[in-house]
Amino acid sequence: MAVITIDGKRLEVPDNKNVLECALDNGIYIPHLCHHKDLSPLGSCRMCVVEVEGQEGVTTSCTLKAKDGMVIRTKTPELERLRMLALELLLTGHPEDCSTCPKYGNCELQTLIQYIGPKTGRLKMRTKGFKAQEENPLLIHDMNRCVLCGRCVRACNELRGVKVLQYQKKDMETYVGTLHNKLLKDADCRFCGACAEVCPTGTIRDKLSSMEVKREDAIVPCRHACPAHTDVPRYIRFVKEGDYDAAAAVVREKVPFPKALGYICSHVCELECKRKEVNEAMSIRNIKRYAADHDTGRYWKGKGKQLPDTGKKVCVVGAGPAGLTAAYYLRKQGHDVTLKEALPTVGGMMAYGIPSYRLPREIIAEEAKVIEDQGVKIEVNTKVEKPAELLKEYDAVLMTIGGHKGVRLPMEGNDLEGVLLNADFLRNASMGKETGMGKRVIVLGGGNVAFDCARTAKRLGAEEIHLACLEAREAMTADDEEIEQAQEEGIHVHPAQTFERITGEGHVTGVDFMNVQSFYFDENRRAVIEKEEGSEHHIDGDTVIFATGQRPDITEEAGLELGRGNCIVVKDMEKDKTTSVDGIFAAGDAIYGTKSVIMAIESGREAAIQIDQYLGGDGDISEKLAPEQHADPYIGRIEGFGYLERKQPQVDSPEEREDNFRLFDHGICDSDICKEAGRCLQCDLRLQISRPRLWGDYAENTSESKEA
Amino acid sequence: MSALENLKQMSSEDAMKKIAALNLPDYGVSGNSLMERVALAQTQCEEDGYEPGVAAALNNADVDGVLLEVLRQDPEKVFEGISALAYAFGTEKKLLFLPEDETELAASEEIRGLAEKYQTEVTADFLNVRACKGCAVMHIVTAANLTDALNGEYTPAVYVSVNGGELKKAAYGTRISELADLNGATAIQAGYRYLRPEDADLPVEEAGISNGVLRVLTAKECIVAETEKRLTASRKQSCGKCVFCREGLLQLQYMQKEITEGRGKAEFADLTKEIGEAMAYSTNCTMGEVSSEIALSAVNLFPDVYEAHIKKKKCDICFSAETVYIDPKLCNGCGECMDVCPLDCIEGRPKYIHMIDDMTCDKCGKCIEVCEEQAIVKTSGKVPKLPNRLTKVGRFKKH
Repeated sequence: MAVITIDGKRLEVPDNKNVLECALDNGIYIPHLCHHKDLSPLGSCRMCVVEVEGQEGVTTSCTLKAKDGMVIRTKTPELERLRMLALELLLTGHPEDCSTCPKYGNCELQTLIQYIGPKTGRLKMRTKGFKAQEENPLLIHDMNRCVLCGRCVRACNELRGVKVLQYQKKDMETYVGTLHNKLLKDADCRFCGACAEVCPTGTIRDKLSSMEVKREDAIVPCRHACPAHTDVPRYIRFVKEGDYDAAAAVVREKVPFPKALGYICSHVCELECKRKEVNEAMSIRNIKRYAADHDTGRYWKGKGKQLPDTGKKVCVVGAGPAGLTAAYYLRKQGHDVTLKEALPTVGGMMAYGIPSYRLPREIIAEEAKVIEDQGVKIEVNTKVEKPAELLKEYDAVLMTIGGHKGVRLPMEGNDLEGVLLNADFLRNASMGKETGMGKRVIVLGGGNVAFDCARTAKRLGAEEIHLACLEAREAMTADDEEIEQAQEEGIHVHPAQTFERITGEGHVTGVDFMNVQSFYFDENRRAVIEKEEGSEHHIDGDTVIFATGQRPDITEEAGLELGRGNCIVVKDMEKDKTTSVDGIFAAGDAIYGTKSVIMAIESGREAAIQIDQYLGGDGDISEKLAPEQHADPYIGRIEGFGYLERKQPQVDSPEEREDNFRLFDHGICDSDICKEAGRCLQCDLRLQISRPRLWGDYAENTSESKEA
Repeated sequence: MSALENLKQMSSEDAMKKIAALNLPDYGVSGNSLMERVALAQTQCEEDGYEPGVAAALNNADVDGVLLEVLRQDPEKVFEGISALAYAFGTEKKLLFLPEDETELAASEEIRGLAEKYQTEVTADFLNVRACKGCAVMHIVTAANLTDALNGEYTPAVYVSVNGGELKKAAYGTRISELADLNGATAIQAGYRYLRPEDADLPVEEAGISNGVLRVLTAKECIVAETEKRLTASRKQSCGKCVFCREGLLQLQYMQKEITEGRGKAEFADLTKEIGEAMAYSTNCTMGEVSSEIALSAVNLFPDVYEAHIKKKKCDICFSAETVYIDPKLCNGCGECMDVCPLDCIEGRPKYIHMIDDMTCDKCGKCIEVCEEQAIVKTSGKVPKLPNRLTKVGRFKKH
């Protein structure tokens, strides 16, 4: 330990600790620019100069080491003069107008100008004349704004070991860039964003920046995009290290169905993955699947939270993903939970909507068993007609009945024989029941459910299958993968069609269509459809399946207020899941219409939190299951990193898969999984980097002391 | 047996004691003794865990490189000196830095052979002081002197090249006046700064000739213009990382340039002093520490020269000579003048404003005759602001 005095304040600090950090850590602000807490001191900007008693001249406090007895002054007139001169010089090569800069208001340099107040108008100003480099993905380099603090160079070299950014010199101008001004991708940049994170000016900036979301969410968009906010970068890192148990435990901290999600999650995370700006998004779902498939449960089986019994009873109606999730977490909070399911098995749409060639039923059973083992009582074949009556026996009721009723579009011929509804069709197919399907099937709709219907029809032996939808091909809501695989299986896809009428007398003979010229939603969110004149055409068929939406299978007689799309009305979709009846809550597809399994899980979690609080609990359902992770920030250089292609899953050929319900997508193979995980940009590493410390953060600089 | 082999008979500690007893100064601008350089490196290793090493280089600020002659004459002596200090310092890390543009020398057979023999890494690059933490950094001449001293052959001396001539060794006590012809001298450039002709009696060791440069300026040279040239050379050499070195040199050079071109402002002399003085202690290596001295000594020692330039626009070199220039407002970029210029000193491209290289131009006037736009002017008066890079016709704006 050394005792030093800074501006009369006596501090006990570790020997040799740099004096600037000593001051900043102890509430004394010394202006600084090139210094960054996580980087080695450079001593080039001269903002942090101080005087040391008994030493001649001034010295930079960032490079000064604390020695016992040192007496330091930070605010003499000479120091202030030098700082002003340093900043004045620094600014001669920096654009004068702050107001046009994208960093305005978030700029460390700007705060320094406010604090130091350099002289102006004395020195020669210049524009460096560099062209802003905007051709790189994710990052913008505008060297005209650079003040050569060198933080980015140190971050790239010392902190990350990527060593892409270096000082360069052109004519007499020094700048920061890659060797021979290569594009970042060609220079093997890893797009970790550390350079943009430490840049104190508007020189290196994120291309994608949003004022609407929180900083962490903008930096790690996959985690933010996931409705349940699973910690994607963390489990990808575990997979890369080969610790699949830990990876699965990370997922399980947020969702009780890691495996099912690994097979069928709608993976909105991948849509936001920053890697897609570099080349292709990470295959996040398949990485999760690999982890879940190889999970031995080491970190979570028999572990995790289980609070003592509270004596409160909850009934959850509907054992789909929302209901199962809510039941699981409510049980863990100590409540006595009964789950009532109308159908013979649990899983809801996972079991009766999603075909088994996408999600084998054993997986649902396996993950449901964990929930049952936790102590949730499950009653199948139990349809609840009057939820309010349950309140006599239970302290709270949660309605998670999903949307099991298909929507029949109001059009000519919609009640002919041979017209089927998506939900019924898929349910019957799942249960091995007769579906009523003929040989030539026309599916109306362009979402994933429509493709489930078409591909199920194929597997049930339909000879000719057409799928038609209103949207243009690009606007179809089904996954591209789903559309492409269906086409491989011989399903005819017809985008941009209006459904004029279903033809036939008594029994369906086909559907009349017209081509859509344009289709959009007007300002009142009403669909406006322009048809192509004379494009009327007919497709023959003996079966029509409506795959144009599903609704909750419930009527007013249940005693709950219903709203748009026959959904159960709750006070606030996200924040308050109370229905019109006190003590009855609702969640999942039943409140917002058909969405996704992951949305249902999140909705179930939110319901569990609220019901736990309603029953007197603290509503804290968070769990820490995975072991601590040491995320190594020194990621190093990987040749060709930006060009590493997304690893593809192994998929059976159309011939092998089109006539059976066996799983055909086998995920990413053992030899590729580590490579795929290695493609991750690890955007979350950036959150480890210390935030700048500005003068406004220091009490001595707040308004009252400034005035004094 | 060579001095190095002798030294290696001892333990490293004894070797260091022996070197310490030699009491050698580090050559160049540091002003430290060799042992002070070693002590600095030792502290860096002990306190911050840097890897120890030994490096030899010219001073970063040295833009002339005349002292490299010491290495050219007997390179082995330098390698031996590095190795001797490395042995005493207990390190295998040995570095030799040559100036950036000496890639050919670095790649020469002789140097590569010695690098191999003495296991020393040779690079033609600016010495990055931050990357060399832990290294005892000494001047190349110091390394040679160390070998001499270990052989008992060292005598304190200063290397001097007078007016760009051959590099000679001048023993301590030799006066500047004994080395150079000072007839008609207006100023003496000694190392990184000017001296007045009256200072010619200074002994070499006190004259600050730390880069070997001794130059006599006469009425043929303008002190301000010469200062500007040296500042430009320094700007080219600076790595540009430190604010004061990068921006300070730019401002100093800009001001001297403006002064020589008749646009000097009254405050330039004071501003030159303010920036120049601060630079001396506001950078991390000799580049920033001494490169402003030339400008500082110029304004301090020759205020009348500055006043004449700034207030009276009077200087035989800068202003009296006739200048031929192309009026940027009239030039149409036709290229006729370029074709007739016997010295090929007109730069231009079709539709770009042409520019005459004033340093090369001998004012023959051939271009004036061919210019149909009458854009080329010969004057002994003030020259307007001209473009400093190729500018499209019609695009040049006066600032």
